[in-house]
Amino acid sequence: MGTGTYLDLLLAGLVVTVEVSLLAWIIALVTGSVVGVMRTLPSRTASAIGFAYVEFFRNMPLLVQLFLWFFVLPELLPKSAGLWLKQMPNAPFWTAAIGIGLFMSARVAVQLQAGIGSLPRGQKLAATALGLTTVQTYRYVLLPMAFRIILPPLTSEFLNTIKNSAVAITIGLLELTGEARSMQEFSFQVFEAFTAATVLYLLLNFVVVTAMRFLERRVAIPGYISGK
Amino acid sequence: MIEINHVDKWYGPSFQALKDCTTSVTKGEVVVVCGPSGSGKSTLIKCVNALEPIQGGEIILDGIKVNDPKTDLPKLRSRVGMVFQHFELFPHLRIIDNLCLAQEKVLGRKHEEALAKGKKLLDRVGLTEHATKFPAQLSGGQQQRVAIARALAMDPIAMLFDEPTSALDPEMISEVLDVMVDLARDGMTMMVVTHEMGFANKVADRVIFMDRGEIVEDAKKTDFFGKPRSDRAQKFLSKILQH
Ligand SMILES: Nc1ncnc2c1ncn2[C@@H]1O[C@H](COP(=O)(O)OP(=O)(O)OP(=O)(O)O)[C@@H](O)[C@H]1O
Ligand SMILES: [Mg+2]
Repeated sequence: MGTGTYLDLLLAGLVVTVEVSLLAWIIALVTGSVVGVMRTLPSRTASAIGFAYVEFFRNMPLLVQLFLWFFVLPELLPKSAGLWLKQMPNAPFWTAAIGIGLFMSARVAVQLQAGIGSLPRGQKLAATALGLTTVQTYRYVLLPMAFRIILPPLTSEFLNTIKNSAVAITIGLLELTGEARSMQEFSFQVFEAFTAATVLYLLLNFVVVTAMRFLERRVAIPGYISGK
Repeated sequence: MIEINHVDKWYGPSFQALKDCTTSVTKGEVVVVCGPSGSGKSTLIKCVNALEPIQGGEIILDGIKVNDPKTDLPKLRSRVGMVFQHFELFPHLRIIDNLCLAQEKVLGRKHEEALAKGKKLLDRVGLTEHATKFPAQLSGGQQQRVAIARALAMDPIAMLFDEPTSALDPEMISEVLDVMVDLARDGMTMMVVTHEMGFANKVADRVIFMDRGEIVEDAKKTDFFGKPRSDRAQKFLSKILQH
């Protein structure tokens, strides 16, 4: 095989990495936001559920979680459902995206909870006093500020999501790291394969960091000094 | 307009913040609430619009029982304006959008209508040229005037103030008090927690003095300043009038 084909393989791996990471990140953001909000609600039940969720997904190694979803879950389900899961086309891809997404969602939830908690208590009171419902208060008052505050830590969680996507190699997903490994097996060019993969990871992270910096500047509030 | 009957309020199982509080505010009346720190002034006015639940007694606002589980609380709250010590403008929204948000989301007004109302009220508090700024770009006194305008935009039947000037630098206090005096003279029903006795003297009809969760004194302004009946109120007055 020539260098051209190797590069094609790596790029194909990069595409898979990007796809898995993006999907996982969307899942992490959506689920994490719901759970993070639940942890700040006065309802005991809501915060207990949020607490249990976070402890479950945060305290188990990601690798174990992926194995659970990929190897154990199909056995636990009724036969037909389990079979359907196993035979699903692209099963490693979907399992990785959902598994990594849920793992990261616990971390997003904790960040968001901290962000909401850092807002002055009076903000919620003022919104409530104006007649906004709880949902409206979160939607229009608390969350816009909380997300702005946690944008920097969210950037690093996004980067973690990309890095964690390499774990998907263990359930057979040929993402960037996976392609680099298989290349090494064909060609015995360990150094070249992993250098190329490293460069691609760095480039990808650079793109993310730049985009997030841009977003931070876009949503910055004139005159507002964070940490007030 | 506001009737507070034998209200008991507990924070947790062991701390009683309000003890058998009874008072009322009639339409167009201005009532000033004062008392030492921790006496329950904030708690009392937060109970009026159910920001805090009560455990005993009843509160009736314009004929509607506040502590009735069937009461539509968001709707009721939207009819009572509230102004806080720390302004609590929404920092990510421009001044004009701070005024429009609840008009549109709670009252369902069209954006143009809310905008027109907002502009009119900004004009009333003298801040028209700041409409497109963000809260952090305004001084404390200006922010508090915006907060008053935001409450007024809902066409409230009464206004509650919780120490509206105590977070302000001295030179900004009067610009906020002026707006409040204006409102009072316009006939707004007001319940004002404040230690600004000058304001009380000027526009209050009655003064309520609280201590340790109880309403110790509830008197006409002239009676209160003339000869407070209780020792506690006398001591308190002499302390704050010293400065
Ligand atoms: N959310 C709360 N949970 C528990 N206790 C509270 C809470 N809010 C107030 N308290 C207590 O209730 C008492 C009355 O508080 P409140 O804020 O009504 O006093 P205040 O008269 O407004 O005082 P200040 O002049 O300092 O604002 C205080 O002892 C306070 O510690
Ligand atoms: Mg208070």
